[in-house]
Amino acid sequence: MLSSLLARTVISYLLVFTVPLLLPLAFFKLVGLGGLRELVTYEAKDTPLHRLDPRLKVLYPVAMGILSILLTWSFMLIVFGLSLLPWFWLRPSRQRIRVLMVMVIGPALGGFWDQGMYYLPPPPIHFLYQFPWTISWMGSPGITTYGMIFGLEQSARVLVVISTSMLILVSTDVGDFTWAFERFGAPPAVGFALTAALRFLPEMISRTTLVLRAVELRGYDLSRPRWYQVTRWLDYVRRAARCAVVVTVPLLVGTLRGTATMAMVADARGFGTSRKRGSLRVHKLTPVDLGGYVVLVILVGGALILNHLHIGARYYG
Amino acid sequence: MHLAVSPGELILVTGASGCGKSTLALALAGLIPSRVQGQLRGRVIFDGRPLSGLAPHEAAQFVGLVFQNPNLQLINMTVQSEVAFGPENLALPQPEIAARVDWALQVTGMSGLREASVVTLSGGQKQRTAIAATLAMRPRLLVLDEPLSDLDPVGAQEVLGTLRRLAADEGTGVVVIEHRVDEVVPWADRIVLMHEGRIIFDRPPHGAWDDPSPWLATGVGIPDVVRLARAVPGAFANGAPLSVDEAVADLRGGWFEAALAHRAADRRAAADGAPGRGSSLPPVLSWQDVTVEFGGRAAVDGVSLDVDDADWVALIGANGSGKSTLVGLTVGLGKPAPGQVLFRGAPIRPGRVFEHAAHVALLLQAADEMLFAERVIAELEFGFKFRGRPKDPVLDVPGALEFFGLSGLEQASPWELSQGGRQRLALAALLVGAPGVLVLDEPTTGQDADHLRAFLTLLDRIRARTGLTVVIVTHDMRAVASRAARVVLLGDGKIRLDGSPSQVFAQTAELARWGILAPPLVRLQAALLGELDEVLLTVEAMVDAVLPYRPATLEAR
Repeated sequence: MLSSLLARTVISYLLVFTVPLLLPLAFFKLVGLGGLRELVTYEAKDTPLHRLDPRLKVLYPVAMGILSILLTWSFMLIVFGLSLLPWFWLRPSRQRIRVLMVMVIGPALGGFWDQGMYYLPPPPIHFLYQFPWTISWMGSPGITTYGMIFGLEQSARVLVVISTSMLILVSTDVGDFTWAFERFGAPPAVGFALTAALRFLPEMISRTTLVLRAVELRGYDLSRPRWYQVTRWLDYVRRAARCAVVVTVPLLVGTLRGTATMAMVADARGFGTSRKRGSLRVHKLTPVDLGGYVVLVILVGGALILNHLHIGARYYG
Repeated sequence: MHLAVSPGELILVTGASGCGKSTLALALAGLIPSRVQGQLRGRVIFDGRPLSGLAPHEAAQFVGLVFQNPNLQLINMTVQSEVAFGPENLALPQPEIAARVDWALQVTGMSGLREASVVTLSGGQKQRTAIAATLAMRPRLLVLDEPLSDLDPVGAQEVLGTLRRLAADEGTGVVVIEHRVDEVVPWADRIVLMHEGRIIFDRPPHGAWDDPSPWLATGVGIPDVVRLARAVPGAFANGAPLSVDEAVADLRGGWFEAALAHRAADRRAAADGAPGRGSSLPPVLSWQDVTVEFGGRAAVDGVSLDVDDADWVALIGANGSGKSTLVGLTVGLGKPAPGQVLFRGAPIRPGRVFEHAAHVALLLQAADEMLFAERVIAELEFGFKFRGRPKDPVLDVPGALEFFGLSGLEQASPWELSQGGRQRLALAALLVGAPGVLVLDEPTTGQDADHLRAFLTLLDRIRARTGLTVVIVTHDMRAVASRAARVVLLGDGKIRLDGSPSQVFAQTAELARWGILAPPLVRLQAALLGELDEVLLTVEAMVDAVLPYRPATLEAR
């Protein structure tokens, strides 16, 4: 019976659409709009990671990104594992872990899934599940193991960069970033732009939350149906889309007014008075920092050497 | 206008909304015309050098400006970074920056939150951070535009005390732009009253109200102790007092104190115990053993509270005491765990804001954020697009237009209205539905006395016409004293006091413990007579109470 055209069609549709439908569901259920704030909000703690030299922390995701580009899959697994280790050091809150897991694993799962369907090896192709002609409009003949592994590989490369960047964002005060950039010779405006951008996201989320709250108080129904109320989901999507139109203007107006005031505040606090700013922070290199620099140099240098020796190097062609 | 500020002087600048106070602040800080478009004629001179020609960041080294809205002036991620931002821009050495940050955080009471993320702060904490950030620059002239608007009364006095010390000890000139004249005037050296872009009055506080006509003409509130002195001539030996302390010093041991004591004794004899809930009907709103936690900290902690039909309840408490969280639950904003909130016996389901907002009209503090349409008339009909026209609205649309003074403005954009007009429109838009309760979250913040009076009168009219239950969250103790039928004090998420305003405000020590400063008249009674069971709340009530005991000699005079 499972091999009948109808059954295979149903299974194929489920396989194709389950993941894309689960991802937004997981976002709404486990993250929500307010949860996005967790992605970039600094979490003040006294951990060894927090005490590391900010310059080292800025260099860390860059170095890991280089490794993820240079190395092959088996080496990548090691790099991926290494990139996860500092999270145990940091011990983020449960809420933050939940948000990070959804926001990091979600897109990775998506990549793994779509590559499984659309990245085809040279023939003969071994299908994990071959789709019937009834779903041929999707442009995929079926799910292949080869494609899924390729997707996993690509996702892991992206995950390394995302995971290390997130780690640094949540363990480093923006002021430390600014300090690090200035020590690298960047003008103060670069640090300020970074600060403003990172400050803008939570501000935008707060404002959006407030406006959405206000629109509901004015009678707009934004309540989400339960997962099994399939017929009501279409209406919900329609309502959400209309709501986006309703709230866009107040959001834009409010944001523009806000940024103008923020610029005046920067002026009023003397931003631009001097080409070189002072800093509240004092970072003296510790043995741990030095160890960190040495590890980064060894990792990147080692990868370059291995690459030159054609060991663990990716094949392009 | 001509205005001079001397070193070490603290000046209160006041006036009705729109009279040009904030523009004056921007001009003083050198932000006009470089950052705010406009024509600047004349000069702003600081210590002999013109500020108007300087770039804003250069002017910032001499004049510090605390802007009006604390939400928009925090541009860093943590409290400490925010406060350090200015001194860092001045390229000061690290020990100096650290010392300034420590000092600014300490004097504003923010030391305990130095590592906190600014997005997690309450309105009052944000305001303190903004003040600390400007203080840390050690400007020689400090201009603060409505610095008290989001602060609880005790917090406001602490900030004013800090500014006073800054002026006295460091010689900093301080200009405070405020509507809350009562609270600032005891600290001020001069009062400047503005009207339509001009200074109409500039003199020391003593004697500032000898002629009340400029105050009445501009609609700026006269402090209660001054009104009392004017209403009972001869009671105050040294003329109109400016503060409760001055009033107490004048009245101590005199006939006024004796009269108040007589009245208090009469009231005690007549008292028949504390009133219970007035109604035998089920409450319209009920919080049942409600707890709400954020990040492991209880914002609301085991609160049980019933509100009856047609009641007028004021929720008061210091910044962060849980007031807004508590009222948000009435429309499903937030989830109590444990506990539940009921509207007319039916549970309010968390997250179903749309459903519950039909019964409970919640006006947010940021009323502007509640406006979405391009025309006034469309704004009033906005809700009907989604849940249909109610059969028995509190007000129909034409009635609301007339009632709220919006007739003839149907086709106007909401943004063409004044701030007060937009607030009225947002309120009208809620009342064209059929709510059973009106919940107002800090509706009087930043309003001058005239607008405040107008708003409270409007509420009285709404209640008189519709019999609607009103729950209001506010820091404005005069508004509470003059209008509320019942006051509930929240402290650390728990109910600390609950009773009539005259009973609750009589507990001055308990109020102070939870960050609330009773209105000046109440503090006057407490200072003269000690802790009472009930207090008089208005100037009129106090005058009625003492005049029968006035000595015949004064009467004849």
